[in-house]
Amino acid sequence: MKAWRLPPPVLLLLPAVIVLAAIVLLPLLLSLYSSFTPFRLTRPETIYDWVGFRNYERIFTDADFWIAFGRTVLLLTVALNLEMILGLGLAMLVERFTRGQRILRTILMFPMMFSPILVGFQFKFMFNDNVGLVNNALQSLGLTDQAIPWLIDGTLAFIAICVAEVWSSTSVFAIFILAGLMAMPRDPLEAARVDGCTPWQTFRYVTWPFLMPFAFIAMTIRSLDVARAYDIIKIMTDGGPAGRTEVLWTLIARTAYSDARMGMANAMAYVAILLSIAFTAYFFSQLGKARAQVAADW
Amino acid sequence: MRYSTTTLCAVVALATAAPVAMAQELPGSFDGVTIDAKLIGGQQYETLYSRIAEWEEATGATVNVISKKNHFELDREIKSDIATGQLSWCVGSNHSSFAPQYPGIYADLATLLPEDALADFVDANIQAATLGGKLVMLPRAQFDVSALYYQKDLYEDADNKSAFEAEYGYPLAVPETWDQVADQAKFFADAPNFYGTQYAGKEEAIAGRFYELLVANGGEFLNAEGEPAFNSEAGVEALQWFVDLYDAKAVPVGVPNYLWDDLGQGFASGTVALNLDWPGWASFFNDPDASRVAGNVGVAPPPKGSGDKRTGWSGFHGFSVTEDCANPEAAASLVWFLTNEDSQKLESAAGPLPTRDSVWTYVIEEAKGDDYRTEVLEAFQEAAATAFPVPQTPSWIEITNVLYPELQAAILGDKTPQEALDDAAKESTYILEDAGEL
Amino acid sequence: MDENATARLKKTASNWTLNVALFVAMAIICLPGLWIVLNSLRPTVEIMAKPPIWIPQSLSFDAYVAMFSGIGEGGIPVISYFRNSVIIAVTSTIISLAIGMSGGYAFARYRFKGKGGWFLGLMLTRAVPGIALSLPLFFLYARVGLIDTHAGMILAYTALNVPFTIWLIDGFFRQVPRDLAEAAQIDGCTRWQAFWQVEFPLARPGIASAGIFAFLTSWNEFALASQLTRSTDSKTLPVGLLDYTAEFTIDWRGMCALAVVMIIPALILTYAVQKHLVSGLTTGAIKG
Repeated sequence: MKAWRLPPPVLLLLPAVIVLAAIVLLPLLLSLYSSFTPFRLTRPETIYDWVGFRNYERIFTDADFWIAFGRTVLLLTVALNLEMILGLGLAMLVERFTRGQRILRTILMFPMMFSPILVGFQFKFMFNDNVGLVNNALQSLGLTDQAIPWLIDGTLAFIAICVAEVWSSTSVFAIFILAGLMAMPRDPLEAARVDGCTPWQTFRYVTWPFLMPFAFIAMTIRSLDVARAYDIIKIMTDGGPAGRTEVLWTLIARTAYSDARMGMANAMAYVAILLSIAFTAYFFSQLGKARAQVAADW
Repeated sequence: MRYSTTTLCAVVALATAAPVAMAQELPGSFDGVTIDAKLIGGQQYETLYSRIAEWEEATGATVNVISKKNHFELDREIKSDIATGQLSWCVGSNHSSFAPQYPGIYADLATLLPEDALADFVDANIQAATLGGKLVMLPRAQFDVSALYYQKDLYEDADNKSAFEAEYGYPLAVPETWDQVADQAKFFADAPNFYGTQYAGKEEAIAGRFYELLVANGGEFLNAEGEPAFNSEAGVEALQWFVDLYDAKAVPVGVPNYLWDDLGQGFASGTVALNLDWPGWASFFNDPDASRVAGNVGVAPPPKGSGDKRTGWSGFHGFSVTEDCANPEAAASLVWFLTNEDSQKLESAAGPLPTRDSVWTYVIEEAKGDDYRTEVLEAFQEAAATAFPVPQTPSWIEITNVLYPELQAAILGDKTPQEALDDAAKESTYILEDAGEL
Repeated sequence: MDENATARLKKTASNWTLNVALFVAMAIICLPGLWIVLNSLRPTVEIMAKPPIWIPQSLSFDAYVAMFSGIGEGGIPVISYFRNSVIIAVTSTIISLAIGMSGGYAFARYRFKGKGGWFLGLMLTRAVPGIALSLPLFFLYARVGLIDTHAGMILAYTALNVPFTIWLIDGFFRQVPRDLAEAAQIDGCTRWQAFWQVEFPLARPGIASAGIFAFLTSWNEFALASQLTRSTDSKTLPVGLLDYTAEFTIDWRGMCALAVVMIIPALILTYAVQKHLVSGLTTGAIKG
């Protein structure tokens, strides 16, 4: 009888494993299979043609794909770092207040309540060159008499997308880092002050190491969640104009549905998944190191 | 319940076997039948759906709306359905530009409906809805072709008139050709506060605009063998028109990212002189709550290209019946009902253009006394007379997806028009070869 | 004396600078939200005006009235969308919390082979972008009849949220000293009772914070919802936003009004759970 009973951890993990296997793993296997076929949505019978690695070979020689790949990595790096720095600043500003914290924290989380698709619509409109809020404000203030082509020029469009992405996701960092600040023991700070450390030194050698794990958790969560950015970019520029803001997700979505070339799109998606796994695993290992550091210090 | 459906199936099977014997009275009687329908959603399209209840009452059948989405989401959904073989629903919204992409899933309505039920539809519309000899959809009163909206007072201003004539050597009047549009757009433009004209700059939108100007210039998109032929002289001339206006700052610098909504809002904001746009905006532009230019809007038929032909890229919404439908007669009756004279009168009352001759006459009659509405209808009727659909290849949308980034590259100066079109033609050839059309 | 005064002055000055900085930051965060509220209240002609109208001249609730009125009068089935959103987001949040608690407890309290690998593996399922999942998932759902149902959406969102809930909750259980539960068991509680009476209350803040993250994710998700829902039986609010777009037109004011309807419940909920949230996150992070 006893041999039949599952050990408790297995039992406890079973629901999670079952749900994830059914909803994530199984579909992934299906799409893995279809990435070896020339599957077209409008011609279902094509799913039975096996073409081996042809889709992958085409991807590896496709310059447009690799440019989009590079741009995605750049976007992630820039956006995540900016979000971290701004989140840190915000958290430290909010932490100084003892009264009204609950309101401040709610405001801090405000952007998280916006559906990414809504963020996309909103920023697309704000950055419109003719009637958009940004150009109107700049022109009203006399800062420029030009219509700045925010969503047209490659660099400006990249900036506009970063702004939208940073606005919508800095909150996640701010909230996590704020949590860290509030959990921080006061004694080391006090000791540092007595020892005559400057505020910068205190921050650099006392506060920051303590906050690192929080920052990396936020990093990991965000890098797991980056596909959120797809909705924003899709609405704002959809990779255009002339492919100047093309990132992996817009390329994949267009190939999959508009062109109906699902097999090729799935092959691209697999390369994209490897990218997110690499990012995530990297942050995860950093998190482990930072935790070990804190555990050793305190 | 199960029993009655089976009997009905038998009856329907008999009926389809001998359609002549059926020679049915429309809308007919279909007690106990349930029709699953996928309809396009959105405010502009939903007024019509109040008529569904009337059809249910008249025929005894029920309609079960299993999906309601916008144009592009519905396209995605139907492609997913084709991929997974989920086509047992009966009636679907369709669009003339998208229809060629779904080969074989829709039934021939000409065999499901009596001939006289189709007689009143505008001939050009029926032709565009006929693919490979099959009438795959019946058009509703959502016909789209573009006309030229303009700000009237610009043409009445005496200073404008004399200054324009001095500069360009001919009197200022509402443009008849696209070359005149270009001259006037450059003349009126005062970036960043005011623009001469504007155009949609991405996706199918710019590809379609390029296509119609190409045709108006005497070119063709695909030649008789079905090969891409848009990188011709006429094509370069068409693309050069877009490039010149962009370089002259006569259009907003953001146009390569504009879609239809940006254009409509731009013209309504009063910052654009001339605007080629769809009939759906006509009442919006003249509504003081929505538009700065209300009361100052003129509408003219679309100008001509160098081939002495008007631009006239057109499309329409309609309804189709699937091949897998268990009750095709009932489904066809519903499709007929939603596109019949009363339905089209109801729908076109809100502004959209009809696709039946009798309803065209009716709306023009109704508009008497309303100068603006009359002007709108006359301009669009003229446009409809010379309108043409997109090239009827299943790969049209896919081709537009390789074409538009190249058009943008030329507009932004990354490539010359000839280079851009040659590259697009090469990629389109691959697509057509992959699809087995070449 | 002089030195003291300068120091005090300096301190006040820097305090003020920081306050102003905070104010500016908060304004930047709020501005797009306020702008949406404002646009939902004024006619399109003012939203699109150029030169811009900075001070609103006519405000009305027309867009909201229209939203709730019938089809053909500018109405959309907002009540159905709202109901679907609430049912789907709340149920999937509760289920993912339950699964997360059981999974998190397993990681926090037991040793087993390949624990680190399992943990990373579970987390990585979240790295799969929705766009890569949507079609194969649609395939599967079509086979088992889950398309356009609440159950299908709930299941999908549960899978989306489980990795994070496990992670957050795992951290909180680690925080609760083992001895407490053991002491309770010595006092005669079963392990089950000890869990509910001792460990659960202590980990509650963590569960609250995992809950709000899960809720916000489900409430705002678009890519999967647009693929797996079809009619008013299951369409959620983010998908409903697209009802304001037609082939050639977009009703910006109506869209803003619907956005406000979407944001308010999320805002209220966040404020209510706020207290737990920060104190909750605090403990979870360090003791990995």
